[in-house]
Amino acid sequence: MAASLRAQKITFSSSTLLRNICRKIPNSLSLRSLTANFSPIIFKTLVYPSQDRGFFNPQRSFMVRAESNNGEEHRDFDFDLFTIGAGSGGVRASRLAANYGASVAICELPFSTVASDNAGGVGGTCVLRGCVPKKLLVYASKYSHDFEESHGFGWKYESDPEHDWSTMIANKNAELQRLSGIYQNTLKNTGVTLIEGRGKIVDPHTVDVDGKLYTARHILISVGGRPFIPDIPGREYVIDSDMALDLPSKPNNIAIVGGGYIAVEFAGIFNGLKSEVHIFIRQKKVLRGFDEEIRDFVSEQMSLRGIEFHTGESPQAVIRAPDGSLSLKTNKGTVDGFSHVMFATGRRPNTKNLGLETVGVKTTKNGAIEVDEYSWTSVPSIWAVGDATGRLNLTPVALMEGGAFAKTVFGNEPTKPDYSAVPSAVFSQPPIGQVGLTEEQAVQDYGDIDVFTAYFRPLKATLSGLPDRIFMKLIVCAKTNKVLGLHMCGEDSPEIVQGFAVAMKARLSKAAFDATVGIHPTVAEELVTLRTPARKIRKSPPVEGKADAESKAAADV
Amino acid sequence: MSRKMLIDGELSSSNDDGVQYDFDLFVIGGGSGGVRASRFSAGFGAKVAICELPFHPISSELLGGFGGTCVIRGCVPKKILVYGATYGGELQDARNYGWEVNEKVDFNWKKLLQKKTQEIVRLNEIYKRMLTNSGVKSFEGEGRITGPHEVEVTQIDGTKLSFSAKHILIATGSRAQRPPIPGQELGITSDEALSLDEMPKRAVILGGGYIAVEFASIWRGMGATVDLFFRKERPLRGFDDEMRTVVTRNLEGRGINLHPGKNLKELIKTDDGIKVLTDDGEELMADVVLFATGRIPNSKRLNLGAVGVQLDAAGAVKVDEYSRTNIPSIWAIGDVTNRINLTPVALMEGTCFSKTAFGGQPSKPDYSDVPCAVFSIPPLSVVGLSEQEAVEQAKGDILVFNSTFNPMKNTISGRQEKSVMKLVVDAETDKVLGAAMCGPDAPEIIQGIAIALKCGATKAQFDSTVGIHPSAAEEFVTMRSVTRRVAGALKLKTNL
Repeated sequence: MAASLRAQKITFSSSTLLRNICRKIPNSLSLRSLTANFSPIIFKTLVYPSQDRGFFNPQRSFMVRAESNNGEEHRDFDFDLFTIGAGSGGVRASRLAANYGASVAICELPFSTVASDNAGGVGGTCVLRGCVPKKLLVYASKYSHDFEESHGFGWKYESDPEHDWSTMIANKNAELQRLSGIYQNTLKNTGVTLIEGRGKIVDPHTVDVDGKLYTARHILISVGGRPFIPDIPGREYVIDSDMALDLPSKPNNIAIVGGGYIAVEFAGIFNGLKSEVHIFIRQKKVLRGFDEEIRDFVSEQMSLRGIEFHTGESPQAVIRAPDGSLSLKTNKGTVDGFSHVMFATGRRPNTKNLGLETVGVKTTKNGAIEVDEYSWTSVPSIWAVGDATGRLNLTPVALMEGGAFAKTVFGNEPTKPDYSAVPSAVFSQPPIGQVGLTEEQAVQDYGDIDVFTAYFRPLKATLSGLPDRIFMKLIVCAKTNKVLGLHMCGEDSPEIVQGFAVAMKARLSKAAFDATVGIHPTVAEELVTLRTPARKIRKSPPVEGKADAESKAAADV
Repeated sequence: MSRKMLIDGELSSSNDDGVQYDFDLFVIGGGSGGVRASRFSAGFGAKVAICELPFHPISSELLGGFGGTCVIRGCVPKKILVYGATYGGELQDARNYGWEVNEKVDFNWKKLLQKKTQEIVRLNEIYKRMLTNSGVKSFEGEGRITGPHEVEVTQIDGTKLSFSAKHILIATGSRAQRPPIPGQELGITSDEALSLDEMPKRAVILGGGYIAVEFASIWRGMGATVDLFFRKERPLRGFDDEMRTVVTRNLEGRGINLHPGKNLKELIKTDDGIKVLTDDGEELMADVVLFATGRIPNSKRLNLGAVGVQLDAAGAVKVDEYSRTNIPSIWAIGDVTNRINLTPVALMEGTCFSKTAFGGQPSKPDYSDVPCAVFSIPPLSVVGLSEQEAVEQAKGDILVFNSTFNPMKNTISGRQEKSVMKLVVDAETDKVLGAAMCGPDAPEIIQGIAIALKCGATKAQFDSTVGIHPSAAEEFVTMRSVTRRVAGALKLKTNL
C-alpha cells in the first residue's frame, strides 16, 4: 500500500497543485522525506481526495523504477516534460501532457523543407517532408490522368494542359508554412513552451539546447527519422525524398532506386507530371512486406501508366557525365542519361548526436531507441515515441504512441499503444489501402483461410477507355469467419479502407460484411458483395486436432 | 409461417396438389430485384421464367429493358454523367496545382451520351446473358397476372403467351411522375434527362429529392445555368438536417440558383425556349424543365385488381416481411413495393425471396442501417439514424460528434468548400447510431463505416482504430470531442 501511494505521488506530480507544493519544498528537503514525515493517507487526502482508486501493476512498476533513480535527490525541475522534436508524435504528446496539467517544453530545429542536423521545423516529417507535401504532389500529378480520363467523358482541350512546376512548388511551400504556423499556434495555445534549436540530452533530467540547459522530470525523444542513402561512389549527385519534394524544376528523366512505398509514390508523382521514370529495385517486385497479389497488381498498373521497372538491380555507383547528366551503374550494367537519380533506400532514426550514449539510453544497431510497450527507454526518466523508435513508422501511430505516453505518465492511466489492425495506405497511382494480415501472414498464423478476391474494371474506366482496374481481397479465417486482412489497390483505396478498418478493429466476421447493404454504384460496395471464395487454403495434411474437432461436431448432430 | 414456407420450398411439392405448372417461378420485370431473384431461385433448382419490356433508354408502359431502372435509367447512367460533370470542377482545381488549362475547353455532350448509351446497351446484354447462363427462360413483352398462378405475356407483335407458375414475383419497379400543371408535357423526367440530344444551357429543375440535386450538379458541372425549385426550406427531406444545410451550401457554392419554398405554376412554349412561370409570379426561360417530383410504382397494368392483390394508397404492392402479397402464390420486391427504393435493397429483397420460396430458408430483408448516397457534387452519404431520428427515438442522451474541415486538396486548389462528417452516438451505450458525410468520396468512405454500424460498433471502437493518413476518412476515427449533447425526446417525456 505504501509503495502504491508513493507511486501515485509521482504520477500526480504533473498537477499544478502538487507541482506548486514541490516547488515550494527547499532543495534540501526531498520529496521522499516529505512523504516520510506526513502520514501517507493524509497526504493523499490533502492532495488528491478524488483520485484514490485505480492502481494497477504497470503504473506501479513505473513508479518504483522512477523512484529508484531519482527518488534520492529530488530537485526543482524547469519542466515536468521536455520533448525533443516537434513532429507528429512530439507535438501530440506535449499537448496532451499540458492538458493533463504538466508544464511542458518542446524543442525543434529551424524550419527547412530539407532536413539536416541543423534544420527541421515544427510539424516534422509528416507535415514538411512526408505525408502532406507528398499527397499535395500526388494531387497535382493525378490531374494528368484526370485529363486523359475526361476525354472519354466528352471533354476536349484545344491544347493539352501544360504543367508549370514552379507554381506547384510555390503553392505547396506556402501551404507547408501555413501548417507549420498552425502547429506552433497549437503548442502556444496549450501552454507548451517552444524552444528553437538542437536538443541534446546531457543527463537523465537535463537537455542542452544550443548551450542553454533545461531540466525536466521526464524527457521525451521524438526526433523522427531521415532518409538513408548507402555509401556508394557518386552519392553526392543523388537526391533523397526531402529534396525530391522541393525540386526547383521538373526532372526530365529520373531514376528512382528502391522498392518501398516512398519509391513507388514518387514514381507516380513524377510520371504524372510527365517525367520519364525508371524504378530500380533489388528484388523481383516492389513493396516487400505487402500482400503478394497487391505487389503484382500495383506494378502492372504502374507499368501501364508508363513507369519502367528494372528488377534485380543493385545500385553500385552514380556517375556524372560532362554534360551534367547522370548514369546509374548497377550489378547488371549502366543506364545513362538521367537528369536526376533519387534514392528511396530506407530511413534511419535521427538518434545520432543526441547524447544517448552518455546517459545510457539503449539503441538497436539501426539506431532506433529501444523502448518497452509504454514507450519507456532504458533510462527511467526518458521516453521515446515515433519513428525514432522504429516500431511502425506512420504518423497516426506516432500520434497513438504520443497519446498513450501522455496518458501513462501524466494522466494516471498506463496505456499501451495497440498495434493490431493498423490500416495504412500507399499513395501510388493507383493507390493501395490495407489493414490486417497479408495472405502469406494469415496462412502462417491461422493455417486454414478463405480468400475472396475481386478484379474488375470500374465504371469510370469503361467510359474513359483507360486500362485502369481495381483489385481487392479479403482474407477470412476458415474456422472463426473473422476477417483477418483486407487489401485493395485502385482509385480511392485509402478512403475506402478506413471504414473497413473500424470493422476489422471490432473483429467483425465475413458474415457481418455480407449482411451490410451496398452503396450503389460505388467501388467500395464490392467489398460487401464478395460471395464466393477465390480459393480455400487448408493446412495439408490435416492435423489430428482438426479431425477430432470434426468428429465431435458430427457427434453433436 | 416459416413451416409453411419450408413446405413451399420443396420443389417436388409442385406436384403435391396434382397440378403441373409450366414454371416454379415466373418473374415480371427484369430489373435489379427481378434478375437477382430469378438467378438465385434457379440456383436453388427452380424452373424460372422472366419477362421484361423491350429495351429503350426512356421507359413507358411498353418499353423498358433487362437491367431495369438502375442500369438503364438510374444509378449507372446517372453516375456516368456525374463523373463527366465532376471534371468541370477538376479543371478549375487543377490551375493552382500548376496546370495551365487552355481557356478553350470544350465539353461534348453528344459524345458522352453516345458512350453512356453504349455502356447501358452493353450492360443490358450482360444481364440477358446472366439470365441465360443461370438457366432462366426470358420473354420479351408485357406481363400481366391473370390468376394466382397464371401469367400472360403480350409480345411486341401482339401475340399473347400464357404460362402457369407455382409462384409469381412482381418486380416491375417504378417510374418518374409529372406534376399536373399546365404545359407539363413541355417538361421532362429523369428518363429523358439521361438521354437528351442537346446539353441544356439553361435548366430549371423542380423537386427537392436526390434526383433533383443530382441533376442540378450534373448540368451545373457541365457549365449550364441551373435553377432548382423545391417546396421546403432545404432540399433532401428525410436526411439529417445539418447535412441538408451542408448540401444546400455546396449547391449554392457551385453556382446553382436555389429557389426554396417555391413551385412551378405553368410552362409555356416560346421561340426562345420554355417560359417558366413560378407560383410567386417570377418568369424565367429554360431549354429544359426537369420534373424530379417523385416516382410511382409500376402496378397499374398488371391486372392486380382482378386477381385481388392489394395495393396501398400510393399504388405500391402491399407485402409482408417476406415480400409475400395477400395472395399466397404472388410475391413482390423492389420499388413496386415502395419500401426502401434502392438497388441494393431490391437485391437484398430478391435474395431473401429466393431463399424463402426455394431455398428452404425463410429470410426477412433487414432494413436496419442501410447506407445510401446522393451523388450530388460533392456527394452525400449516410448510414443509420439522422440526428433528428436518434433524438426522437432516444430514452437517454445523444452525443453528436461533428467534424467540418477543409479537404487537403482544397488547400492548394483554393476551392471554398468544407467537408462535413458527423457521428451520432448513444450516450449511455456508446453505440454509434448514425454516420454521415458530405464531401468528395463520401459514398466510398461510408461503405466500410456501414459494416461497423450494422454490427453495433461503439464510439470507443471507432476511436481505437488508427487513421489512414492523410485521408479524409481518417476524420471518422479522430473525432475526439463532443460537439453537443442532446436529450432524447422520450427522456424528456418521462421527466415531465
